[in-house]
Amino acid sequence: MKYWDDVKVGDTERTGTHTFTEAEIIAFAREFDPQSFHVDSEAAAKSIYGGIIASGWHTTAVMMRLMCDSFLNKAASLGSPGFDDLRWLKPVRAGDTIYVRTTIEEATPSRSRTDIGSTRGRTEAINQHGEVVLSMNNIGLYRRRPAAETT
Amino acid sequence: MQYFEDFPAGRRLDMGPFHVKAEDTIRFARQFDPQPFHLDEEAGKKSLFGGLSASGWHTAAIGMRMIFDGFLKDTASQGSPGIPKLRWTKPVRPGDALRLQGVVAASKASASKPDRGFVTIDYEMQDQQGETKLRMTATHLLLRRGAAA
Repeated sequence: MKYWDDVKVGDTERTGTHTFTEAEIIAFAREFDPQSFHVDSEAAAKSIYGGIIASGWHTTAVMMRLMCDSFLNKAASLGSPGFDDLRWLKPVRAGDTIYVRTTIEEATPSRSRTDIGSTRGRTEAINQHGEVVLSMNNIGLYRRRPAAETT
Repeated sequence: MQYFEDFPAGRRLDMGPFHVKAEDTIRFARQFDPQPFHLDEEAGKKSLFGGLSASGWHTAAIGMRMIFDGFLKDTASQGSPGIPKLRWTKPVRPGDALRLQGVVAASKASASKPDRGFVTIDYEMQDQQGETKLRMTATHLLLRRGAAA
């Protein structure tokens, strides 16, 4: 188990990949974000995007899954209070493959609870062309290593 | 159809209610955020959330749906360049009835593209008790009136 105490400024994690299909882009958008350029190929072709693109919230959800699978579910993660400066920099389309790269920029012990610490990191999703499609400054909460437990 | 010009600073928007169902929070978490406190009541009780809670990304996606149904579907929306700030202030739980309020904080025509403009909206999501669940500042991209869409 990886605790807050094991996280160091400068640490970088790189996740596995996910390839988006048109069916999953449309299914997500129908449920949460049915703007025409996410669900209707004809309307999307006439939009500023020139074709169907994934909802930005679909991209963030996939980012979360990639992070869970590659490191978060092996860590003493306690969730997150939020994020700053999320940018959807490039559209994500069917057939695009992304991975996520996250680098720890700050690690701060909680002032009020000795068993918790937080991190801030720069997290980016990168497509098969090496383009950053999404970036954000995210906050994570982790349990600290219990005193009785050693590495 | 509403355009960029219809969202001056100070305009208020009211959205919801949206009813959160347990099967939906667990389905979303299985697909996108399979951390134990989003999947299992017992694990949720032992976590900081004190019970089963929706993934924050599910909460954000629900917010998006409330925004779409509340006003965005009738606008010349062209998506969003990003979210300057988002805070999950309290966990969203199955059974919650969520409302969302928005206030236009800023409205700015694009400097480079005369057919569009950016509208920044401060959103606050509350549950049936009036507890704030989420605060978010979002930037919307909208076509200007008369732009050839």
